[in-house]
Amino acid sequence: MLRLITFIIALIWSFPALAQSEADIQIGLSDETVAITSSFDGAEIVVFGSVENADENLLKQDKYDIVVTLSGPPKRVTVRKKEWKFGIWVNGDERSFVGVPSSYAVATTRPLDQITQAKDLKILEIGFDNLTLRQQAVTAEPQPETQTSAETDQAEEDEDLDSFRRSLVRLKASQGLFVRGIGDIRYLSPTLFKATLRVPANVPIGHHRARAYLFADGEFVTTRSVLLNVRKQGFEQAAYDLAHRNGLLYGIIAVLVAMATGWLASVVFKKD
Amino acid sequence: MLRRNVLSTVGFSGSRALNLYLPIAEMSVNVLVLFSMGAGVGFLSGMFGVGGGFLMTPLLIFYQIPPAVAVATEANQIVASSFSGALAHFRRGTLDIKLGIVLLIGGVAGSAIGVAIFSSLRQAGQLDLIISILYVLFLGTIGSLMVVESLNAIRKNRGKGAEVAAPPPPQQSWINNLPFKMRFHRSQLYLSVIPVLVLGMVVGILASIMGVGGGFIMVPAMIYILRVPTNVVIGTSLFQIMFVTMFTTVAQSATNQTVDIVLALILMVGGVIGAQFGARAGQKLKGEQLRALLGLIVLAVCIRLGWDLVSTPAELFSIGSVGGH
Repeated sequence: MLRLITFIIALIWSFPALAQSEADIQIGLSDETVAITSSFDGAEIVVFGSVENADENLLKQDKYDIVVTLSGPPKRVTVRKKEWKFGIWVNGDERSFVGVPSSYAVATTRPLDQITQAKDLKILEIGFDNLTLRQQAVTAEPQPETQTSAETDQAEEDEDLDSFRRSLVRLKASQGLFVRGIGDIRYLSPTLFKATLRVPANVPIGHHRARAYLFADGEFVTTRSVLLNVRKQGFEQAAYDLAHRNGLLYGIIAVLVAMATGWLASVVFKKD
Repeated sequence: MLRRNVLSTVGFSGSRALNLYLPIAEMSVNVLVLFSMGAGVGFLSGMFGVGGGFLMTPLLIFYQIPPAVAVATEANQIVASSFSGALAHFRRGTLDIKLGIVLLIGGVAGSAIGVAIFSSLRQAGQLDLIISILYVLFLGTIGSLMVVESLNAIRKNRGKGAEVAAPPPPQQSWINNLPFKMRFHRSQLYLSVIPVLVLGMVVGILASIMGVGGGFIMVPAMIYILRVPTNVVIGTSLFQIMFVTMFTTVAQSATNQTVDIVLALILMVGGVIGAQFGARAGQKLKGEQLRALLGLIVLAVCIRLGWDLVSTPAELFSIGSVGGH
């Protein structure tokens, strides 16, 4: 009996919250696959979505915010830092990170810091700086320089790691693989929206995940995701697949193509 | 917004109509630029009678092609140019097949060693550096030698034309004393196979690490060290280069998957066309002037690569994915 009463009280208490969190989000892609062909030079991915069961009041006040992210297949990435040695710049210190999204695009209705608090973004892993970039467990034998590492305190190592992490993000951004687009989400109607995300020509192939987050008045409500398949098509795919599955045969074909070209050239230009 | 999208789409396809996606390098490149690079280097190689790999690979790297792909793909391109060259020499009978085969045995061994070194350097993240250093060393040495030699020739103002008849130096006695001698009828030589195999091997290693044919080392070495008659030197060297680059292409492809067949084809077509025009232009210029010019080009590429090694880079960090997929 007591249990039932507490349950009812709890239900009544949580009712406003329930009513609010009823809002939901649904998304779909303009294309479920991105085909990389010979003319591929990057593409624009359009994510359509709708806010369902939206609170009329919040809608009128423009209090709903949406963030759409598109992240590429996770990979292991090694970041290397050049050092001045023997008069030239050589790759020295390095850190490896696992589970790094090979590409990452964010589209938002407003700047992220206006949508919600930093700690929520951190928890939800939204934004370049909030991605979990875990360092790969160090297995390698200690290098000559790191002999003093026992004495280096943890803080220094953390700071080092952080500079590598920041560089990873900066380099990915400079390669066009990490993209952020504030205002790349437009409302087509009060509840229908369209997010445009750019994938560059060097987009990694594989399954990319498009994820939409709904925020109401600064609070995270819900999230949905769909998969996007990026793959090479036609000749590009055949060439890539062959090179990676049967490199020997690919190499032999490459040689035959070269011989044919060389022979053709000697025939065409022989009379000249 | 919509109109802006439409406009930008039109601009997009208009300015980038000549862009082509490379399946292995995984990047979009401008066909015209690459074709011109192939034709330009082909022109120079036709004009000077050199392979051109030592110019093409750095150019590809300057064009942001990953060095690993540039080197392996360039080996593939050299197959095409050396094949058409070797065919011509085969028809004229100006090659020593037996000598070529012994060189080739060394070359294949060297190429296999080179591909293994290439893989481990790539794993260690030092491949780009080693490629640059090797280029700076080789281009610097050869470019300086060419410039100095040709300037001396111009100063003496002999004006003998293309061929400078260097007196063949006496054969080094240490080469005569080596065991495992073999008779090479076409070259009229009775020679130990050891220096031949070693030379072939050195060139094979260079082919796989630097993406060059290695003619610029093999030709002088054959003339001055092995004393092969000049009329069969070029043909025999092309014969060896052709097979070594074939082997390198297959080995790189099987080990590192870095041969981009689309890139190679663009360069091949540009290269063979450029070479035809280069050969004709070469006949109108004097030998010393040609060598001085080529020497200066080689030095310019060397300085550019060397500058990148010593100048403080704008970005100290670099990223690379290691291991498989």
